Amino acid sequence: MSQIETFYDVMRRQGITRRSFMKYCSLTASALGLGPAFVPKIAHAMETKPRTPVIWVHGLECTCCSESFIRSAHPLAKDVVLSMISLDYDDTLMAAAGHAAEEAMRDTIEKYKGNYILAVEGNPPLNEDGMFCISGGKPFVEKLKYAAKDAKAIISWGACASYGCVQAAKPNPTRATPVHKVITDKPIIKVPGCPPIAEVMTGVITYMLTFDRLPELDRQGRPAMFYGQRIHDKCYRRPHFDAGQFVEEWDDENARKGYCLYKMGCKGPTTYNACSTVRWNEGTSFPIQSGHGCIGCSEDGFWDQGSFYNRVTDLTQFGVEKNADQVGLAAAGVVGTGIAAHAAISALKSAQRKTQDTRSREEA
Amino acid sequence: MTDRQLLVGPFNRVEGDLEIRLDIRDGQVAAAYANSPLFRGFEMMLLGKDPRDALTLTPRICGICSVSQSAAAALALGAAGGHAMAPQGALAAAILHGVENLADHVTHFNLFFMPDFARPAYAGRAWHDRAVARFTAMEGSAARVTAEARARLMHISGLLGGKWPHTLAIQPGGVTKTPDARDRVRILATLRAFRRYLEEALFDAPVEAFAALETVDQLDAWEGGDAALFFRIARDLGLEKIGQGPRRYMSFGAYPLPDGPGFSRGLWQNGATGPVDPALIVEDLSHAWMLGDTAHPTQGATVPDEDMRDPAYSWCKAPRLGGAVVEVGALARQVVDGHPLALALAAEGSVRARIAGRLLEIARTQILLEGWAAALDPEARFMDPAPTLRDGQGAGLVEAARGSLGHWLRVEKGRIAGYQIIAPTTWNFSPRDAGGTPGPVEAALVGAKVGAGEETPLSVQHIVRSFDPCMVCTVH
Repeated sequence: MSQIETFYDVMRRQGITRRSFMKYCSLTASALGLGPAFVPKIAHAMETKPRTPVIWVHGLECTCCSESFIRSAHPLAKDVVLSMISLDYDDTLMAAAGHAAEEAMRDTIEKYKGNYILAVEGNPPLNEDGMFCISGGKPFVEKLKYAAKDAKAIISWGACASYGCVQAAKPNPTRATPVHKVITDKPIIKVPGCPPIAEVMTGVITYMLTFDRLPELDRQGRPAMFYGQRIHDKCYRRPHFDAGQFVEEWDDENARKGYCLYKMGCKGPTTYNACSTVRWNEGTSFPIQSGHGCIGCSEDGFWDQGSFYNRVTDLTQFGVEKNADQVGLAAAGVVGTGIAAHAAISALKSAQRKTQDTRSREEA
Repeated sequence: MTDRQLLVGPFNRVEGDLEIRLDIRDGQVAAAYANSPLFRGFEMMLLGKDPRDALTLTPRICGICSVSQSAAAALALGAAGGHAMAPQGALAAAILHGVENLADHVTHFNLFFMPDFARPAYAGRAWHDRAVARFTAMEGSAARVTAEARARLMHISGLLGGKWPHTLAIQPGGVTKTPDARDRVRILATLRAFRRYLEEALFDAPVEAFAALETVDQLDAWEGGDAALFFRIARDLGLEKIGQGPRRYMSFGAYPLPDGPGFSRGLWQNGATGPVDPALIVEDLSHAWMLGDTAHPTQGATVPDEDMRDPAYSWCKAPRLGGAVVEVGALARQVVDGHPLALALAAEGSVRARIAGRLLEIARTQILLEGWAAALDPEARFMDPAPTLRDGQGAGLVEAARGSLGHWLRVEKGRIAGYQIIAPTTWNFSPRDAGGTPGPVEAALVGAKVGAGEETPLSVQHIVRSFDPCMVCTVH
């Protein structure tokens, strides 16, 4: 693919300075949890490797993933979307319309056969032969299969593509179906969240373009570097949970003191995502910081787990009404290791809510 | 006699999918049929759920106007329980909502609407080089500056709402976040930075100067920024003559605050503004793939017709107010609010008028937001928690960036028993009703010029995009 320019060429063409480029490489390295030694490696890769073409398609969705993506933190991350990876085909941002757009997609597939990454936002609805989402006169599921056939790998952006999301909520009127249940013969990386955090999206895509492989995935197919942390474990309100200090009602005295939102339905204890560390809107905040609990939007099935304002599970057996020492002991038992904590929570969940049996068993 | 038929779509640079069928006669559009090809069934999923879950589910109808959906759901829940937001909570909600609307408007202008003028088909026009440099899709200099300014503006959404899109903070009793003095200063500083962007890139003049325009002549004489570039293009292409809407404008009143809305509520028709009566709203299903009768949203249901029978051609229902087609959006809001420039453009109702209305609203919303942020009182309560809702019925009527958004909710025994939503683009992109009357965009397209070889006619692109369609909201 020598005729394709390198990432660095593209960036140079966009007028990006060497200094900004190096800064981008070091930010990317730290976002990916790689040491400073990796900075020159990333820089070298971007200078020498031909850029990887990306086709970005939209199914049944709300465009929130794109909206999140074009709001990434580092100024250069905007250039990731607007130029660097040069989205060869993107429904929301591209210039072409109508037949020209269809042709652009066909051309891109032909030109980069077997070498492009397919980014999918949203998912295909399968009821009524896919008639609930028509793109270019055809059901989206056909476009998805067509674009996936010659893709090197697929990124499932967001909860829709990864799991189904709210549009798959009971009774799932359109039978909205996650990508991996339709495309079964390609490597798929899930980047869930509703939407995913912008920095997570750019981090994942930069890793894939730089190292030409998928990042390490967890059991659910999510990049471990971003979905390996439990919101609860890195939450700045965690000390209040451990001390048994909870918000009891919106804007009460405890809310003003920034106490734990667990009793208000926070799903932080069962959610794996980078919100409590990377945060949102260029690191400004995240839902718990705005006084509202986490709804667990990066977890499979978050939309059908009873009310979003119900407590995850009754944790009174942890001794929150007892004295601080007992609480501390109990809590320490839970957070001994990430895996133990995960297992404990999963066990609790399955004990408390039988409906969830399958996934909890998997996780435990 | 129809010369030919054209199927225009997918549109791209609109939110969601859209397809428009055109009958062409004598080189112009004789009839247009707007098809919203995406259906998810939110109104069906909400049934039987905890009413509070509407606060989390409905924002996910749309990734670009999620705060509008969230505000409508919170108001509907409040109305059903006879509960009002704490005054400072309403103020914080207005800031969150205003920021989103402002961001949507600049996104539309820079990323969705203007790139069409950079097309090669316009090469040779005096303004084309400038349009290419500023607005080429994904590469133009304006796109980059806008994306950056918008991301910074949305720090306010982060501060007050935790995250955007799909903010959770707005509740029937107010907002979950109590901003402290430091947050207030940051919000004011962020707004100052956004003002700089507007005054450098978009207007090249104080926003007050643009907001003070009163006549079309003054608008034509505007010289600053990308706004002037647009008016120059509009004059050259005659955009004041194409895409005329029904010239009946509705607004539910934007930003409900204790002492009245930020932009007023009403209905403008035949040159005069009067009250709007939401009881007169019905959704006509004659040309939608939906089963059931024409009904007010409190009585309405959502039952998709899986046979997709004729003569229906869209998943979109056809909302009508007192049997009439109305246009909603920034222009409608500014007309109903009585701004002199908007009133001067009301009868024109064209592509240019719609864009001018949006630019006007950008300037005025910036000014409103600065006033609201200054009025934040960190000592006050931002939430007056609403009691658990067992039974009740209520409507949440708000103004999203693209126009009037209504949620109609019925709760029985603590569960949602009815939920109907009419979004702005449901109004503007509605299909025909039982009387055969086309929706606003369908009517606006009639008469648009179509060149002999044109497959995606430019005039059609401009007219459709001047409404800023949001197709994911339309059917939901």
